[in-house]
Amino acid sequence: MSSVTLFSILLTVAVYWVSRRLAIRFPSPLLTPVFSSTVVIVFILLWSGITYEEYTPAKDIMTYLLGPATVALAVPLYHNLNILLKKAWPSLLGLVAGTAATIVSGVVLAKLFHFSEEMTGAIAVKSVTSPVAFDVANVIGGDPVLAAVFVIISGVFGAVAGPWVLTALRITDPFARGLSIGTTAHGVGTSQMVVEGEMQGAVSGAAMGAAAILVSIILPWLFPLIQ
Amino acid sequence: MVKQGGIFLAQIALLWLIYQAGVLISSFLHLPVPGSVLGMIILFLLLTAKVIRLDWIEKGAAFLNKHLAFFFIPISVGLMVYLDLLKESGITLAVILFGSSIIGMAVTGGTVQILSKRTAEGKKGESAHEQRHSV
Repeated sequence: MSSVTLFSILLTVAVYWVSRRLAIRFPSPLLTPVFSSTVVIVFILLWSGITYEEYTPAKDIMTYLLGPATVALAVPLYHNLNILLKKAWPSLLGLVAGTAATIVSGVVLAKLFHFSEEMTGAIAVKSVTSPVAFDVANVIGGDPVLAAVFVIISGVFGAVAGPWVLTALRITDPFARGLSIGTTAHGVGTSQMVVEGEMQGAVSGAAMGAAAILVSIILPWLFPLIQ
Repeated sequence: MVKQGGIFLAQIALLWLIYQAGVLISSFLHLPVPGSVLGMIILFLLLTAKVIRLDWIEKGAAFLNKHLAFFFIPISVGLMVYLDLLKESGITLAVILFGSSIIGMAVTGGTVQILSKRTAEGKKGESAHEQRHSV
């Protein structure tokens, strides 16, 4: 392992550890670990002249367990199975309405600002988990790399501002909160919902999966209609 | 201590195996579902069918769930490559991305909250109280 890789890993772990402590001590949207850590790490990398290319081997090592961590979301889901079954219909309707609202509003706003079709397509897929966003962007003629960028931005926004937005809108039901963030901010939002409460995390993880399936099925025919 | 650590690693290894199974099945059947999400569905089904017992994976799963945010940090750091794009059309992009996210959150959360309250009231408001706490 190169010394840059070792430094990158130690830096990322240390910054995450401190940001997590801070977020527990001083709960505030801007101290959400995924946001505050990213800002601090980007700043340190730029300052020390390390490029993202040089950081990438460290990234690959550190994200090795992202897949198993996503699989592990089945456990809170299993714990909350009864309530999920009880609310199956409201959940499904919320998921479909919310996914459609996210896509249509994103595309309409992009058209309003005269964005290109590649850009608009990338915006349309931004709310789902990145492998699905990447594939669906390709299918509908969006730029897949930009799609991945917008997916990250939307996820971090959901983790940082989502809980606050929901509280401002008086959406206080933990089940509704989890479903809302999982549908619009995939895994990154889910990582914050897991911290908010077990039920929120469970529902958010399930919504993330369901939204990924829904978007990959409906977007290829919905997108040409609203283009 | 060593035994505990071994159990913990074995639990994470089991989750990793299920993830790999999800990736394989998803690419083999050309499913529109990513391997990680399929793995989540597989584990959920195995737990429900009692093929896998909760205590086989519970500790490892709890640890990974707790630190899920960590795995997204190195990916988010990738945004540093796009700083120019974000500087150039940052405000317009923010309006579009954040605006549509907020609309999506409001519609999803609002729909579920209103509909489940209605259902709960239909069933003599049994769960209307438990919904309000723990935010």
